[in-house]
Amino acid sequence: MKLFEYQAKNIFREKGITTPRGILIRNMEDLDAAVADIGLPCVLKSQVLRGGRGKAGLIRLVKDAESARNEAQELFASEHNVHMILVEEAVSIASEIYLAVTVDAVTSTAMLIGCAEGGVEIEKLAATAPEKIVTVKVDMSHGLGGFHVNNLVYGMGLPTELIKPVSAVVRNLYKTFTAYDAQLAEINPLFITTDGTPIAGDGKLIIDDNSEWRHPDYPLSREQFDSQVEFEAAQEGIPYLVFDGDVALMCAGAGLTTTVFDLINDAGGTVATYVEFGGANYTKAVRTMELCLETPSKVILVVTFGTIARADVMAQGLVEAIKTHKPQQPIVTCIRGTNEEEAFKILREAGLEPLTNTEEAVQRAVDIAAGRA
Amino acid sequence: MSIFVNKQSRVIVQGVTGKEGAFWAKHMKDMGTQVVAGVTPGKEGQNVDGIPVYHSVRRATAEHPADVSMLFVPPKFTKDAVFEALDAGIRKICTIADGIPLHDAIEIRRAAMSCGAMVIGGNTSGIISAGEAMLGTIPYWIERVYRKGHVGVMTRSGSLTNEVTAEIVKGGFGITTLIGVGGDPVPGTRFAELLPLYEADDDTHAVVIIGELGGTMEEEVAEAREAGIFTKPLVAFMGGRTAPEGKRMGHAGAIVTGGRGTVKGKTAALIQAGAKVAKRPSEVGPLLRSFLG
Repeated sequence: MKLFEYQAKNIFREKGITTPRGILIRNMEDLDAAVADIGLPCVLKSQVLRGGRGKAGLIRLVKDAESARNEAQELFASEHNVHMILVEEAVSIASEIYLAVTVDAVTSTAMLIGCAEGGVEIEKLAATAPEKIVTVKVDMSHGLGGFHVNNLVYGMGLPTELIKPVSAVVRNLYKTFTAYDAQLAEINPLFITTDGTPIAGDGKLIIDDNSEWRHPDYPLSREQFDSQVEFEAAQEGIPYLVFDGDVALMCAGAGLTTTVFDLINDAGGTVATYVEFGGANYTKAVRTMELCLETPSKVILVVTFGTIARADVMAQGLVEAIKTHKPQQPIVTCIRGTNEEEAFKILREAGLEPLTNTEEAVQRAVDIAAGRA
Repeated sequence: MSIFVNKQSRVIVQGVTGKEGAFWAKHMKDMGTQVVAGVTPGKEGQNVDGIPVYHSVRRATAEHPADVSMLFVPPKFTKDAVFEALDAGIRKICTIADGIPLHDAIEIRRAAMSCGAMVIGGNTSGIISAGEAMLGTIPYWIERVYRKGHVGVMTRSGSLTNEVTAEIVKGGFGITTLIGVGGDPVPGTRFAELLPLYEADDDTHAVVIIGELGGTMEEEVAEAREAGIFTKPLVAFMGGRTAPEGKRMGHAGAIVTGGRGTVKGKTAALIQAGAKVAKRPSEVGPLLRSFLG
């Protein structure tokens, strides 16, 4: 789960990393007081989970109360689903640094990443001048050693006076990474103020989805999703995506789903929505179809090949879902796996043709969507 | 022959008295796997379908020497269970747990690497050496998917595996050993680490990898082939060629993978290394045919 900047910064502070002073507001009424408290000039930072907020115009520097009101109004009204704004003090910056801790799957270590030139161009730098980016691998069962930190900060070529304060940030960022079961803890940029103090200008913290039960203070919240339906699906643990094409997909497993997605595109079709029908949700056909019908589509395509997720149970569920929701669009089924013969029988009795070949099923669905079948 | 697990393998099952564990341990036995003992703390003295149960791996292996452990243990307890098996001297471990915390997975893989063990999984359906032995939850009884033959299979996916393996069989081939390395970001064992085993297995004439977008496991396979570590025919199928750009992991993700991870990039690397890449599952059989005649 990716946290909002304000949440990441709350955690950073708790772990000893300095951040700019800031106040979170959720509506215009709280703006004036927040601006008065923080002081002018200040920065209005939209709390959304997408990257590239600066380039998208979602971060605004304001110099007086009136422009603060105008800009905040614009942000709340923007198409980017801005529910919260972090009003933050403007910091006088001498330089910007990049720091992160993430995971290296190959060596199975925590990886510290540092670069003396932080900011939005860090990925470009990784491609053009990779020698400027320093990486240090840490065996997590041994923990972070002083030498790891030294290899990072001296490798970055930092001026002598910054070695000590930046080392402290590295240690605290690693502490954050381990304490929060993070996939990523990133500060970009880490401001170095004109008086030489490191301050986290931004904060990214992604808690591993499989570790969320260890962090009950950070439950899923409505603000993380574009719509109420997506929020509800996530709470129920049902993978659910919305696109703007024609074919609604009820499909099982990441691998099979991405393959069906490819086959639909290859056949000239487009995907309207995808709802996971399989895995832990294989008995939830009625709910799955309800989610599926949230998005307009021309055909529903059901593709599964389950083991524990029994084909007969899924076929029976699908028949009940059709009875419950009475979808208007045609349904193409390709339900296979354990007890598939029984599944085919159930589908036939319900007037559905049980296809057994994924590519054929995809072609059928795309043809229906295009009015060819 | 086969790799990792065969008729001679002596297997214990950790978590054998649970619903899943009991159900699949029986299937593993029915398929021919030598399941010599089971482990559930507090349940010593019971038996599951004739499999004697012990409090701990050490107590089980004291009575029944074993070289493989299959785990049906919830994700929260998987790290401890893997460490227990390693502590008892077992060096081949498979876990199906879906939801192992990331930092636990890092420690599991690291521990295995440091003592020369191999942990397969989590988030996998397991391993099958066709006609010999099975670890996990693989529907060996579906004849059109799991026929014995000469093709090794490595996969990151569950449902897609049945789909592609069915095409291998339809193409007139069968499998030696299928290993599901699992769909987690840090699997215990990576594709490229299994290649030397397939290379050394005389019965395996070719290998099929079933990959996906993300990570760098397919690129590592290409590198291993370029380096001459694996020289047999190689066919790949990967899902996610047209996937919309998904979640990005800040800038660090791009820095760690160096821009790798797209199916386009994986395809180019594999073709460069002499592999053939199927655009759709039904091409896998014909591509194998083009290599094996």
